[in-house]
Amino acid sequence: MVANTHEQEFETQELLINMGPQHPSTHGVFRMVLGVDGEVVTDVVPHIGYMHRGAEKLCETMDFRQGVGYMDRTEYLANFNAELSYVLAVEKLAGIEVPERAQWVRMILCELNRLSSHFMFTGAFGTDVGVFGTAFVYSFREREVLLDLFEEITGDRLMYAYFRPGGLAWEVPDNFESRVHEVLLSAERGIRDMDGLLTQNEIFLARTKGVGAISAADAIDWGMSGPSLRASGVPLDLRRDDPYLYYPQVKFDVITGEAGDVFDRYHVRLKEMRESVRIIEQCMERLADGPILPERLPRMLRTPPGEIYERTEAPRGEYGIYLVSQGGNRPYRLKIRSACLSNLQALRDMTIGHYVADAVVILGSIDIVLCEVDR
Amino acid sequence: MTTEDGAAAPDGASVADAARDYLAGTIWAQVDEALSGITATPVTDEAERSVIDLIVRVPPREVVAALRALRNPEGMNFDYLRSLTAVDLEEEGVDVVYHLYSVETKHNVTIKSRLPVDRLVVDSATAVWRAANWYEREVGEMFGVRFDGHPDPRNLLLPEEMTDFFPLRKSHPLAEIEVLQGEGIAYEEGEL
Amino acid sequence: MNGEIFGFEINIWLDALARLGLAVGLMTVAAMALIYLERKVIARFQQRLGPTRTGPAGILQSPADALKLLGKEDLRPKNADPWVFELAPYFVFVPIFLVFVAIPFAFGWQIRILELGLLYVLAVSSINIVGWVMAGWGSDNRYAMLGALRAAAQGISYELPLVIALVAVAMVVSLPGDVRGSLNLGEIVTEQGHIPYIVWQPLAFVIFYVAMLAELNRTPFDIPVGESEVVGGPFVEYSGIRWSMFFLGEYTALLLLSLLGAAVFLGGWAWPLGETVAEQNEILGVLYQFGLTAAKTGFLIFTVFWVRATMPRMRVDQLMAFSWKVLLPLSFAQILANGLVLVYGWPDVLLLLASGAGLVLLAVIIDRAVKRPAERPGRPSGALEGEAAT
Repeated sequence: MVANTHEQEFETQELLINMGPQHPSTHGVFRMVLGVDGEVVTDVVPHIGYMHRGAEKLCETMDFRQGVGYMDRTEYLANFNAELSYVLAVEKLAGIEVPERAQWVRMILCELNRLSSHFMFTGAFGTDVGVFGTAFVYSFREREVLLDLFEEITGDRLMYAYFRPGGLAWEVPDNFESRVHEVLLSAERGIRDMDGLLTQNEIFLARTKGVGAISAADAIDWGMSGPSLRASGVPLDLRRDDPYLYYPQVKFDVITGEAGDVFDRYHVRLKEMRESVRIIEQCMERLADGPILPERLPRMLRTPPGEIYERTEAPRGEYGIYLVSQGGNRPYRLKIRSACLSNLQALRDMTIGHYVADAVVILGSIDIVLCEVDR
Repeated sequence: MTTEDGAAAPDGASVADAARDYLAGTIWAQVDEALSGITATPVTDEAERSVIDLIVRVPPREVVAALRALRNPEGMNFDYLRSLTAVDLEEEGVDVVYHLYSVETKHNVTIKSRLPVDRLVVDSATAVWRAANWYEREVGEMFGVRFDGHPDPRNLLLPEEMTDFFPLRKSHPLAEIEVLQGEGIAYEEGEL
Repeated sequence: MNGEIFGFEINIWLDALARLGLAVGLMTVAAMALIYLERKVIARFQQRLGPTRTGPAGILQSPADALKLLGKEDLRPKNADPWVFELAPYFVFVPIFLVFVAIPFAFGWQIRILELGLLYVLAVSSINIVGWVMAGWGSDNRYAMLGALRAAAQGISYELPLVIALVAVAMVVSLPGDVRGSLNLGEIVTEQGHIPYIVWQPLAFVIFYVAMLAELNRTPFDIPVGESEVVGGPFVEYSGIRWSMFFLGEYTALLLLSLLGAAVFLGGWAWPLGETVAEQNEILGVLYQFGLTAAKTGFLIFTVFWVRATMPRMRVDQLMAFSWKVLLPLSFAQILANGLVLVYGWPDVLLLLASGAGLVLLAVIIDRAVKRPAERPGRPSGALEGEAAT
């Protein structure tokens, strides 16, 4: 409790609590040291780097095609989105024209991946708020359906390495369209379930409204991006503001929140899932037969010297690839701009002054992927 | 060494024309106005420029002033620091790279500053954007760049005591990192 | 000296031993069954199957877990306070088993018929908080400490509404001869032969139910053991047999409080037609009464599982505010209303009206409260300033 003037006469001691790297709700190998006055958090120091594997350095030793796999391993919940940033950067640098079909398929897969990533969020967030597994299982049921589809397409449940500079690794299966429609139905069911289970739950509202609020100016100053930024009311969505693929050709709304609190961060994501479904439906209408790789693609891909900072809207925010080439078949320098790293920086601002239980919820609401933070 | 060697040195009329054409298609005019009083040179050389964004070179001493001028809400209003990183160019030095974005006008600009090998020091941008905090810590530990005025210059990703080598520099191949991490099972340098 | 158990004359020591054995044996088996049922029920809520591999439909899962726990090493952290740490499970475990003595299962089927049964139950069952605090303090772990403090605060806060809600019922029990009020659980149940007290005192029942969830540290009040915050709270350092004693204690408490709720509010073995059936056929009557108790208790337990499967966890300040600012005043209001009705001899229907009005008020308060966004209660202290001045 807050020390008022009477209570201050007692000698109180601030307790330091070490949360993580092994803790059920740090979403990976993350450590934060909490200074606690009773139940109120008075200071937070996040410690990251436990998952650092030097992906940027490794990519400098890989040629452009091999690098795709490393993107999967940084952002393991939205692999298609991560791969997309990388292949777009390489394509733009090398000046490769990508066939239309490949672009549409990429868009569909990226949005499906956004759905699966957000399902992961709703599930894990439900657990953070304290629902005993139910939100988690309901989310994972739908996520599983999506992963099954990804497995049918790419042969792998998580590490797809399916996008190639120039297009796709191979053609999608024949029943792709019918499978996508099936998957969308289940995803819509999942969104409805989450709405019923969490959004309308009184205790959930009481736990999330007004917690961990961050203003729009602060959010921009901290470099936050994605749903966490939009929850503060900043309508920044790279799919619209810095378009790539065929996003200008589809209709969707950029969802924003108002208060920038935990509830908004959750609700923006949930609404965004509906928009993703909308986008996929439009993409499915536009998807036509055609090649999935350019006719003439060199065996060993080389780029002219130059650089590019390619950014895409991944489920957690801006996933940027800064690629410097000095000619040749591998990057001279590759920097991965991680959305989670920037979002996590703001954690301190959001958490201080709230209860210990809220620290967990706030961390959950940023939806971090530690592999992406540490790279 | 604070002179800019990345600036386009027009040798012939055709190169100058190409550079002018290129800059006409970018926001250089506005950036130039915002950066009045600061030595800023746009990168126009085809081998160095970015495929999509304008790159502006600024000497290290004036970087923070340039960033602050660009952030000014009255001017270009680049209020969003997308990324802050560095590129090791071996004997030529280290480029510190700032990717800026304006949420309002949707403009992008890249600010680069070349630090000479013998003096890898630049002022910290944390006073301009709080976001720069962790980015600078990462660049500091990975490249050995010192950010003057950084409030907390500890290692971010690497172990805190690992301050004597800089993994993302070209002079540190992958093999050496293996040597440091696993004693006894080290690879010889160059084996990988 | 001879005692009597269920109609049989028996030596008093044997009698005591038999009752003790019965209590411990039955409770242990019941708790293991509850653990199995909870896993199955929650699995169904979550579209899973729950345990299936051990025995038919997985019914041997709990015995298997118990064996596993018995076989595990009994670890004690190096810096733990040995006595406090090792005695804590008993302080949780024993009082709850003692409560069992006064619970009525069917007419005359009570281990001991106590005139002050309700008082006894409430007094003894609240001792286990001591065990929680001991566990948290003795473990030398900050999570355990935090959990124990939460448990203590929560236990004390919800003990009051729980007791007062039960007192409200004890006040209005009408005994033969126009006497009102009784603490004898047997009498309380018998008097519900026609109408259970949930009808007269719905507010008291709701308060009792909420406070029971809190006393049991069940969702949405599982703050002391919140897995995602304090990783199991006071029990974080326990393993093997000691941990299983806590676990057993929790489920036994669930069973006992549900039995209590069934007896005091839902009419226990008496409603409906408990006595009528017994008058027709004695054996059938006892079985029927046992069935009634089991069904009502089972329903209450099921709702507890149900709540656990759907509700998020409340926050510690909300929990305290809910108890002290909402439940406690309302339960006092309930007592006041009951007192007025009894003293002035107003018709009993006023009990229902007053209680119902209180219930509506409770719903309104909750609805208003959840829509108000939280505020930051604290300010930065700079405690970790040296470590990172971001």
